[in-house]
Amino acid sequence: MIKFEHVSKTYPNGVKGLQDINLEIQDGEFIGIIGMSGAGKSTFIRTINRLNDITEGQLVVDGIEISSLKGKALRRYRRKVGMIFQSYNLVPRISVIKNVMSSLVPDMSFGRVLFGAFSKEDKIKALESLDRVSMLDKAFIRTDQLSGGQQQRVSLARTLAQNPKVLLADEPVAALDPVTAHEVMDDFKRINEELGQTVLINIHHVDLALEYSKRIIGIRSGKIVYDGPVAGITQDVLDLIYSKDEAE
Amino acid sequence: MSWYDKLFEAESFTLENGKQVSQKFTRVPLIIFLLLVGIVVSVWVTGFSVVTLFTNFVGFWKILASMFPPKLPYFMQVWRPLLMTIQMSFFGSFFGALVALPFAILAASNITNNRLINLVVRFILTVVRTIPTLVSALIATYIFGLGTFAGTVAIFLFSFSFVGKQLFEYMETVDMGAFEALTATGANTSRAFVTTILPQVLPTYLSTALFAFEGNVRYAAILGYVGAGGIGMILNEKIGWREFQSVGMILLSIFIAVVIIETVSQQLRKYLS
Amino acid sequence: MSQKLEAVLSKEPRRGLQYGVTIIILLILLASSAPVLSGAHITSKGFEIGWNILSGIFTPDTSLLFGLGDSGVAYLILQTIAIAFLGTLVGAIIAVPLSFISATNIVPKPVVIVTRVIIMAIRTVPSLVYGLMFIRVTGPGPFAGVMTLAIVSIGMISKLFIETIEDLDSGILESLDAFGSTLFQKIRYGILPQLGSDFISILVYRFDMNLREATILGLVGAGGIGAPMIFALNAYHWHQVGAILIGLFILVFVVEILSDKLRQKILHG
Repeated sequence: MIKFEHVSKTYPNGVKGLQDINLEIQDGEFIGIIGMSGAGKSTFIRTINRLNDITEGQLVVDGIEISSLKGKALRRYRRKVGMIFQSYNLVPRISVIKNVMSSLVPDMSFGRVLFGAFSKEDKIKALESLDRVSMLDKAFIRTDQLSGGQQQRVSLARTLAQNPKVLLADEPVAALDPVTAHEVMDDFKRINEELGQTVLINIHHVDLALEYSKRIIGIRSGKIVYDGPVAGITQDVLDLIYSKDEAE
Repeated sequence: MSWYDKLFEAESFTLENGKQVSQKFTRVPLIIFLLLVGIVVSVWVTGFSVVTLFTNFVGFWKILASMFPPKLPYFMQVWRPLLMTIQMSFFGSFFGALVALPFAILAASNITNNRLINLVVRFILTVVRTIPTLVSALIATYIFGLGTFAGTVAIFLFSFSFVGKQLFEYMETVDMGAFEALTATGANTSRAFVTTILPQVLPTYLSTALFAFEGNVRYAAILGYVGAGGIGMILNEKIGWREFQSVGMILLSIFIAVVIIETVSQQLRKYLS
Repeated sequence: MSQKLEAVLSKEPRRGLQYGVTIIILLILLASSAPVLSGAHITSKGFEIGWNILSGIFTPDTSLLFGLGDSGVAYLILQTIAIAFLGTLVGAIIAVPLSFISATNIVPKPVVIVTRVIIMAIRTVPSLVYGLMFIRVTGPGPFAGVMTLAIVSIGMISKLFIETIEDLDSGILESLDAFGSTLFQKIRYGILPQLGSDFISILVYRFDMNLREATILGLVGAGGIGAPMIFALNAYHWHQVGAILIGLFILVFVVEILSDKLRQKILHG
């Protein structure tokens, strides 16, 4: 369970990323986060695995107050919270399976890390997560030979291999064409249903968010302006989320 | 590489759901083996020895140290050959790049639609490029006599082959749409080339020529070693006489000249792109 | 409306003027460089030598060209390759640390300026000067050639290495951070794999260039195929000159094709 209590985030330059966020996320939810670009969607998602630090309030995940985590404890916490980025962030000139296995590295001994000697179990683990996103047949080819959609699936497989409890995805389909975007979203949905992982996705595209999520969080200027089921989204709500700030 | 895969068995993996995949045996050992063989053979052939290097390296520092401080007044004798070197590079680069243009047009298969001409011209460019500049300078001194002209010829040959190759390879990537449209309306080929292809390749052409010029200034400094004129002549002489402070001054002058030329040329090239 | 059009028209760059000025500058520079043409005296002897070299290429000294001994072209080629290969390797070993302390995304700006001036200075000294200096360290022969090429390579290798390092995709490091990697793990799995293939491709390219350099080191007694050629030229042994030139051509040509193929493979899979 993820619990935000009066969470705020102010950037060093004074910009307010998040303002007084209060919400609870249960295990196994599929949540779409919508809002205009710059509204704070990324900041929101990134605070959950501490790529961004919060400046006020408490963020409690499974009973642990995470803003106080440091060093080894932080790294161990991050093993449970997988993150997927818009830009795939794969090393282009190595094989797909090597990219996937890189998420297993933090659990390996120093010697194995140094020489890149992955055990057979690790390889099988990586292959199985590739199979989950139907990329098994591409395991041994170079990553730069894949299309954007395929690379995003590899990136998803990489995160799955570390077996996280929570999947965070920051605009995972923004760079993809509509058909491929649907395929990748289908993967997220299947994983959420089959493995019961909590999924939080930032989506720029409202239609996709409404189609796949069970719960929608609407963010505007760092504040939550809607939090509820998909059914509750009306034109008025959308207008509220996507309206320009009065101040602007 | 099929023999390699036959020799070393592929590794196969079975997933929980029964699917099987196999991975070819890694190439890493083969690559490491080849590299090691290369290193061992090279060390043996060249007599490379780390021990000698470390015990005698002090000799290198001694020569280097003896160049400091450079003999500044000596600049009065340096500037003239230095200028000569730059002039050689400029002249050679300019005409090399100029002559390269028609050759590049003949070598580019999308503009000159004749396989035989393409191949012959490319072969000429390759042969000329293969000969090291210093060797062509040496041969040029035999033919044209000692002096800057031989050096200029060598630089001309290098620039010609370098710009020629770069240019024809770039021409082949150019967008041919406008060229075809124009020839379709009945314009003759050369007219169509000037109005459609040339504007596309011009920035790259000039930029390559400038790049060749930059490199040539640096390179022209050693042409004097074979008697092909320029600053290399006095450099060679001063090293022979062990006047290392003068050598230091010559090197310092080359350094400053190269920095100035590279800075200007890089600005120009940035402006071109 | 027409005013608007005129305004746009006047904004159109005056290409004609630009071209004119450029051409005039070029002509002035050319004219002032004309003194280099002095000293050209193509004598009948010069023609004769040119002809002799040409005919030497078509009637090479076959015992030299196909000879397998220490003075045969095959051995000279092997020696030249060995010099270029080791030279590139040693140069790379020096260039790697130098590149990391010259990359703006790794060290602060003042350090970068200092290291770049050093690299530039190393690059300026002509290879033959290094050759003469190294002969004092190693004695004449191919070993001096290896060290010369190593030092000469540093400039270009570091320049290209630095570009690669500055192009590192920091997103990959962020990903590694996100799944809980340590600094060492980030370097090993985030930075090294990104740099690896580019670095190797740069080295292959430099090897190709070093091979050309290695062919002239013989001039200062630093080994390679150059020395016997000079001797043959000075002794007017045209058939030997021809044999060596053919060997040189084949060597450079084959290595160029192979290195191009290899780099294609490394960079594009």
